[in-house]
Amino acid sequence: MAADERRRPRALWRTVSPLLLSVLGVALFTVPLLAFSQSVATSLVPIAYLIPVIFAATRWGIWPAMVASIAAMAAADFFFFAPLYSFRVDDPQEAVDLLLFLIVSLVSSNLASRLRQETERLRRSEKDMQALYDFSRRLASCFTIADLIAAIQQHFALAFGHPATFFVTTSDGHIEPPDSRFAPPKVQSGAAAMNSGVGPMSRTIVDETRSELWLLRAISSDDTIHGVIAVNIGPGSQQAIATRTRRIEAILDETALTLQRLDIGKAMESARLHLQGQLLRDAFHGTLSHELCSPLAAIQGSASVLDSIPAIRSDPRMRALVDAISDETAQLDGYIRNLLSATRVTAGGLSPRLEWADPRDIVNGAARRRGRRLDAHRIEITFADDLPLLHLDSGLIEEACGQILENAAKYSPSGSTISVDVRPEPERVIIRVSDRGVGITQDEQGKLGRRSFRGARHQASVPGSGLGFWIASTFVHAHGGTISVKSRGQGQGTAVTIALPAAAPSPESMAFHE
Amino acid sequence: MSKPANVVLLIDDEPKIRRFLRAGFELNGFVVLEAENATEALKIATFSAPDLIVLDLALPDLHGAEVLERIRAWSNIPIIILSVAAGEDDKVRLLQAGADDYVVKPFGMAELLARSEAALRRYFKSATENPVVVAGPLSVDLVTRTVSLNQSLVRLTRKEYRLLHVLAMHVGLVVTHDQLLKDIWSGNQRDNIQYLRILVRKLRQKIESDPNQPRLLITESGVGYRLQNRFDPVPVADRVS
Repeated sequence: MAADERRRPRALWRTVSPLLLSVLGVALFTVPLLAFSQSVATSLVPIAYLIPVIFAATRWGIWPAMVASIAAMAAADFFFFAPLYSFRVDDPQEAVDLLLFLIVSLVSSNLASRLRQETERLRRSEKDMQALYDFSRRLASCFTIADLIAAIQQHFALAFGHPATFFVTTSDGHIEPPDSRFAPPKVQSGAAAMNSGVGPMSRTIVDETRSELWLLRAISSDDTIHGVIAVNIGPGSQQAIATRTRRIEAILDETALTLQRLDIGKAMESARLHLQGQLLRDAFHGTLSHELCSPLAAIQGSASVLDSIPAIRSDPRMRALVDAISDETAQLDGYIRNLLSATRVTAGGLSPRLEWADPRDIVNGAARRRGRRLDAHRIEITFADDLPLLHLDSGLIEEACGQILENAAKYSPSGSTISVDVRPEPERVIIRVSDRGVGITQDEQGKLGRRSFRGARHQASVPGSGLGFWIASTFVHAHGGTISVKSRGQGQGTAVTIALPAAAPSPESMAFHE
Repeated sequence: MSKPANVVLLIDDEPKIRRFLRAGFELNGFVVLEAENATEALKIATFSAPDLIVLDLALPDLHGAEVLERIRAWSNIPIIILSVAAGEDDKVRLLQAGADDYVVKPFGMAELLARSEAALRRYFKSATENPVVVAGPLSVDLVTRTVSLNQSLVRLTRKEYRLLHVLAMHVGLVVTHDQLLKDIWSGNQRDNIQYLRILVRKLRQKIESDPNQPRLLITESGVGYRLQNRFDPVPVADRVS
């Protein structure tokens, strides 16, 4: 408050001094005019007096110029127009001259002061532009939000004489005032509200206790609020506040652009990482399919040649060895295929190739492909009579069914029955695979959909990678289908139900077969 | 066999694969030629006139599909494709480019031999030969257009017979959906695979002992159908795709 009392007389002095100075200017000009009054025509005196008037207008503005005009007119009348040393004018011609002088000097001082204002405005906006240009150059070198905040702070300090207060949104959605001493509590609570996206994204807060005017703006890029900037605009006329607000808006616009750029930068970085991951997966895929599949094919093929030799086929011991090679290779091949499917799914490369297919073909194909891995079990497949055709990627769904069949065989005793029941329901086809095996517990049911989940009970006794169910469910979901697992509990068997959406077949295809 | 031994050209850059293929083919009475790259393969195919080509897709100098195309430009010789984990689209494309059939690694020798023999039979079939195609209990007389199952006549509709006829002409080999649709409908219905699925269902009901577990008319997912003519116990390695 003490500062305000001191500030007031200083402001008064600033208003009064140009007036006094312009009067003084006229007085100083009078001295040489008096000295040369004999050689100067009286009618030219008023014209000479235009000099201090225009000087005052360009230097201090319209009001001092007007004061100077009146003072000059008075001086001319007093010192040069008869009767001398009196403000009286006898000659009407001289009265007209003086009046004319007053009008001319008022008009020209008005013009001159307007010119001055214009120049000043240009100079100021040039300075602003320069500052903004420096600021945006500084922003161009910002690579993190922290850089950006520092740049804003510095710019505000330069432009307004005091730093802006910046509330940064942290990753957990809270805000962090950098130095809350500067900001009154009202401003802080306003910033918090804006940070959480409540209310308008720009507001003005008046702090009566300190008689300060604070301008608050959210700094946001497309969809995220990065923080709130609070600027103490300070005192001043309404016009001054409007000007400062405009400048702040300009700065904030620059900031928003930079934030967008940073966002693009972030997106580019994540795209680069994604590409790297993709390349790695491709490499993995290539390695799997070539470096592992090739030797496996050689082993498998060699075993099958041995298997065809009568001398080996007729010797049970030899045959058992060849069979073991074949079985183990087939199992390894199965794992590799699962890994390939899994990388394909993770890489986002799963685009079903849809065609019309008979669900019978799919289920039979799944059982046929699993070959001897299902040999130890009785597979009972029942198809309802009125199965519709399905529009799907038969390769993927066949693989899904195969995985479920293989799991059923793995987790149920040899010689037990695995039944597959395929029936239509309104707008879908149900494939239900039930076994009489170990079943699954409630706890395990919840974890089944996860990649690589394997029931702890079986990890030691049953081989597997735990990918099977995950692959099956991913393939089924990719078709808009559902997969669910039911078990009455441990030792009660498991039933896996795959439901696939069935589009109504076109009427012509129903009627058509001739 | 009236012909002396069939000559097979094995094109594969993996020595291990060629080794077992050679053993398998030689044990079954073939004469074996080998090539480890496309350049060599094309030279041998031109100058040694093999009866059958087994072509691996991954070759060091040229893609197998390119080799297939170049050979097909001047020869109808049976070609069986070997590939690792080929997608359905690739298989269809290769078949359309003129491959007779494919096997996907890892495969069993029995499967490859069955395909090879089917392709050779089709290639060397002469007009004077017995026009009856036998597949297990089913026989199809391509001249009189009669079909019998366990010696009793089966009545088929025109479209059903057409389907069976095309498959019987390629007995043991896969025939793509496109090929079937073209040969059966030859008109505006060509791209409607639903018709084909329904027709197959009808045909199975007439020729299969259990239409729900077909053993004669086999579906190759995403590719086409095959009329099976070998019914020995299928070894574990003998997996299609």
